[in-house]
Amino acid sequence: MKNTRFLLSSIGQKLLLATSGTIMFLLFLVPHMGGNVLFLFGKDIFNSYAHHLHKLVPIVIGIEVLMLVSISVHMIMAARTTWANRKAASSRHSQKGSKERSLAARLMPWSGIMIFAFIVIHLANFKFYEKSKTMLDGHEVYDVYGMVLSRFQGDLWYVGVYLFFMVAVGLHLSHALQSALQTYGVYVPRTGSKIKAASMWIATGMASTFAIIPIIAYLN
Amino acid sequence: MAEKKINLTLNVWRQQAGQEGAFETYQAENIDTNASFLEMLDVVNENLTCAGKEPIAFEHDCREGICGSCGALVAGKTHGSHDRSTLCQLHMRSFEDGDELTIEPFRADAFPVIKDLIVDRSALDQIVSSGGYVSVKTGSAPEASTIPIEKNFADAAMDAAACIGCGACVAACPNGSAMLFTSAKVSQFALLPQGAPERASRVKEMVETMDRLGFGNCSNEYECAVACPKGIDVKHIARLNREFIASRTRKKK
Repeated sequence: MKNTRFLLSSIGQKLLLATSGTIMFLLFLVPHMGGNVLFLFGKDIFNSYAHHLHKLVPIVIGIEVLMLVSISVHMIMAARTTWANRKAASSRHSQKGSKERSLAARLMPWSGIMIFAFIVIHLANFKFYEKSKTMLDGHEVYDVYGMVLSRFQGDLWYVGVYLFFMVAVGLHLSHALQSALQTYGVYVPRTGSKIKAASMWIATGMASTFAIIPIIAYLN
Repeated sequence: MAEKKINLTLNVWRQQAGQEGAFETYQAENIDTNASFLEMLDVVNENLTCAGKEPIAFEHDCREGICGSCGALVAGKTHGSHDRSTLCQLHMRSFEDGDELTIEPFRADAFPVIKDLIVDRSALDQIVSSGGYVSVKTGSAPEASTIPIEKNFADAAMDAAACIGCGACVAACPNGSAMLFTSAKVSQFALLPQGAPERASRVKEMVETMDRLGFGNCSNEYECAVACPKGIDVKHIARLNREFIASRTRKKK
């Protein structure tokens, strides 16, 4: 009971929001980006990576369950805090004289919803999609490289949709990283903050790295 | 100082408690640029009274920026400027002849309008009364140097204690959150040995009261720190978060 009260307080909810976000960032987004980079090294390396990843099934399933829990907690806490915030500020001023609030911060709920929609699309496109097989070092493996290539090749519409969603990921991360740290109690100064700058650069860097695959695959 | 007179158009929020409010337009004519913003409103009110109309209700007391009574949103800025000063310290020399200003109360769901520019900020008092104090035996003041306090701690506590509770942070916050206020009130004790005995219960109870009174959640967008006339920094919010987390493990004394 005491724990529930702690976790459902305003700060407690934000701690859950920050922690579930951090888990998804560190255990999903960062490794995913690392894997994607291997795409640039060609068919054999990328397929071998995918093949080895599939051999780690117990760990992969464990992480998948953790992601499912994290995304649920993240969405519930985001909905609760956003709802309370809208309610607490329902009567708004007719003018606003400060531009302190960043675009990324303002769009957090929307970029979050977009990322969720993207995850659904992305899973349908790649995870729950029939893959053909190819030969690698004398073994028969799934041709994940070929699947990615065929997805984006010649389909500008697909590439555009993916790039659009990567902008949402970048925006979301640029506020999320610094905001999570401040929620954990790490002081993130308002001006001249290295954490804020790092947050921006990491977000831009990661979104760009993710964006490379559709572009390369399209041009290939 | 050279005397200069200016004319302004004011769009002022007029509202009776429990009724719908609306903006009304008034002319502020022949205003001395050496006058303060509240003195300008005094002149407008004098004219309204002479014309048999209801004067604009606004809260004020010390008129020197230390009591926290005054405050309104002028041209979108809390206290009319973001120059670390209160509305009473804002002077008419900050404006140009012919300016049109929108003046409205500090809006937030936790701050219901009492009348015109006056809002009920007693929710902030309730946060303080639920733990923003130290329980001490009353008597004569103790010798100041009985408890040695490191200078940087004393300075940081003093920075937090500069909060005058005007509510500008709540009004500026896109979520109507009182985190900057509460963090200042928690920090001024968390940094000092006198605050140690009630450290855990203080933060828990103040946050609980803050949540109960309909303030929003902090989304780390820092509008509050821009608006604060006393320069309360968001590092106190980080400290409040740390204090709140630590209150789970700290023994209740």
